[in-house]
Amino acid sequence: MAQKLQRQLSAIKKVMVGTLNKNYVPFPVDKSLCSRWTNDLSHGGETIIYTSFMYQLASLFKSYEKYLPTFSNMGGSSRMASLGKLFIKPKKEDLERSYAILRNISAMLKKAGINHGYLYDDEPYSGGLLLELGMINEFKEYGGKVLQKFKDNGVRRVITVDPHTTNAMERMKKLLNSDIEVVNYLTLIKGLSGNGQFVIHDPCLYTRYLDLGETMRDVLTNAGIKVKEDIMVTSKEYGTCCGGPLGPVDLELSSKIAEDRARKLLSVSDKVLVACPLCYQNLSPYIKNIKDIAEVVS
Amino acid sequence: MSDWQIAIERALENNIPKVEEILNQYPYLKDYGVQLRQTKEEVVNNLEKYVKQTMESVKRTGGKVYLAKDAEEAREILKDIVGSNKKIVMAKTNVGHEINVTETLEAKNNQVFETDLGAYLIQLSHGESSHIVFPSLHLTRENIGELLHDKLNMPVNRNSTIEELVAQVRQFLRQRYMEADIGITGANSISADSGSVALVENEGNIRIDTVFPPVHIVITGIDKIVPTLDDALKEVMVQSAYAGLYPPTYINVSSGPSSTADIELKRVSPATGPKEFHVILLDNGRMEASKDPDMKEALLCIKCGRCYFSCPVYRVKGSSWGQPPYGGPTGAMWTAIVNKDYETANYCTHSGGCREVCPVQINIPKVLEHIKWLFIDEGQNNLSVTP
Ligand code: SF4
Repeated sequence: MAQKLQRQLSAIKKVMVGTLNKNYVPFPVDKSLCSRWTNDLSHGGETIIYTSFMYQLASLFKSYEKYLPTFSNMGGSSRMASLGKLFIKPKKEDLERSYAILRNISAMLKKAGINHGYLYDDEPYSGGLLLELGMINEFKEYGGKVLQKFKDNGVRRVITVDPHTTNAMERMKKLLNSDIEVVNYLTLIKGLSGNGQFVIHDPCLYTRYLDLGETMRDVLTNAGIKVKEDIMVTSKEYGTCCGGPLGPVDLELSSKIAEDRARKLLSVSDKVLVACPLCYQNLSPYIKNIKDIAEVVS
Repeated sequence: MSDWQIAIERALENNIPKVEEILNQYPYLKDYGVQLRQTKEEVVNNLEKYVKQTMESVKRTGGKVYLAKDAEEAREILKDIVGSNKKIVMAKTNVGHEINVTETLEAKNNQVFETDLGAYLIQLSHGESSHIVFPSLHLTRENIGELLHDKLNMPVNRNSTIEELVAQVRQFLRQRYMEADIGITGANSISADSGSVALVENEGNIRIDTVFPPVHIVITGIDKIVPTLDDALKEVMVQSAYAGLYPPTYINVSSGPSSTADIELKRVSPATGPKEFHVILLDNGRMEASKDPDMKEALLCIKCGRCYFSCPVYRVKGSSWGQPPYGGPTGAMWTAIVNKDYETANYCTHSGGCREVCPVQINIPKVLEHIKWLFIDEGQNNLSVTP
């Protein structure tokens, strides 16, 4: 048993480290697909919005288990990279949705007076998945390259837009003693509006690791959105993960956890809000009315 | 819904609000948890010294004490003490489970009876424990009604109330004590300064197991050592509160065999209770873990079982995650320590609720992240030798 999982994780590590080193993406994809959501931000600058491809590629992250061992069996990474463009591509509607979310986040930042650039195709993936799969040495090694990339582009402050990247950057800073400033967009935006009543599915990393659970609630309530709470479902102590991070380890278990979580959330409200693109992917098969925070405030 | 889903839902509904209520009503318990973390850290950082002190203290009380480096050694010690053809009553012990006490003693022609209701139901159903404090959590009242009816011909069924089920088993278990030669228990904590073993419970079975049979054997891990008897009592209070059972019906302290000083104030032993008191301290990976800066955090665990209920993986997988008795979030750390099983940790989805609810604030996801790394590292070695 252990060997089967070790093989699977080794395959993932091999492909991921290969594509990261080559292209700064977690698996072979056409990077320009990820940066097409904007063309009016300046390239680079001291402060940048940092997507780490999470919204754009969320639907692919979920399929790691399906794709990566196949790629690793295909051998050489150069062949893989070119084939990758053919094999891995998010669906058009998923991409469009991610573009709209990112545009809104960027607009909300501007509204709050935060000028920011973007690295477009020079943007590196954070390496969060290495970290979350326990590949600490590889994460450190790759993290050094990410930080260098930021340095080379004159970046001193990155604005993250999802929990996985925020967490990865925080850990990277500590592990590598970096002085780069990492700030999540939720802590910056203000003066927003929105409406409706929702139950929040807290991303584990925001609420239980980065202490952003209250910030998220403040953003929503200040914008006029009603948040329904239930200690058994939405508290820091008893609210639970959507199972997304388990995808590469055990896709079936990951889905069962999502189904269970969805059932709990729906017992509080039929309208569910998420703040992480992976949570959205994992929960949306079981919840009809599900939206990202950046789809309900502007 | 599957039986497991029904069982876990009922457990969550009964347990979560109860623990919250207890912690609000007795606010000192949270402070005790914080203090315990500090005292336990002190022990973990100086484990050899505390093991030695504990052993000396147990001897001073007239007890016999043994240090087993692994499960095999613990089994040999136990077999020597017990011999064969004995009737043994057991109070649920996880360390006992870790070294397979029941099978070991039965193989030597002894009869072993679990006296904890949950552990007894597991024994009766030939099942596996699904929670470190509530081993029969996976059995619904309907399952238990059927089990008792089918296996023991008791006048209960699927529709019996929980009260009716407990009343039937109570009668049955009470008969067990009369003939027992030996009582075996674990320890919730053991104090280095006095060699006292503290045990907390509600059923009353531990109290009887520890005083009625002429011999009392304690099997526990060296991680259960705390500096003083005061700390040991705090540990049982915190453990029971965070398990949702506070105030506990009984707290038991055993320091050596029974004794009396009623004649001329000279303390002599034995008196009414056991004439022999044995403590088997088990290492089985704990000492090694105490020297690993990432892993040693796991040794602070007081096995209250609260983290299970905040874990989405446990909620779905139940006892099929980990190796009983070590399941749930704490079990993913503990199975790595005692079984060198690094695979289980990979199923942690870093939900993080476990850390939020842990009375001694163990950073469980961080420990599991470290074990994941060990797994990958081990895989690298394994996979390079197997083509
Ligand atoms: S890890 Fe913490 S919450 Fe879990 S059983 Fe141990 S002490 Fe209790």
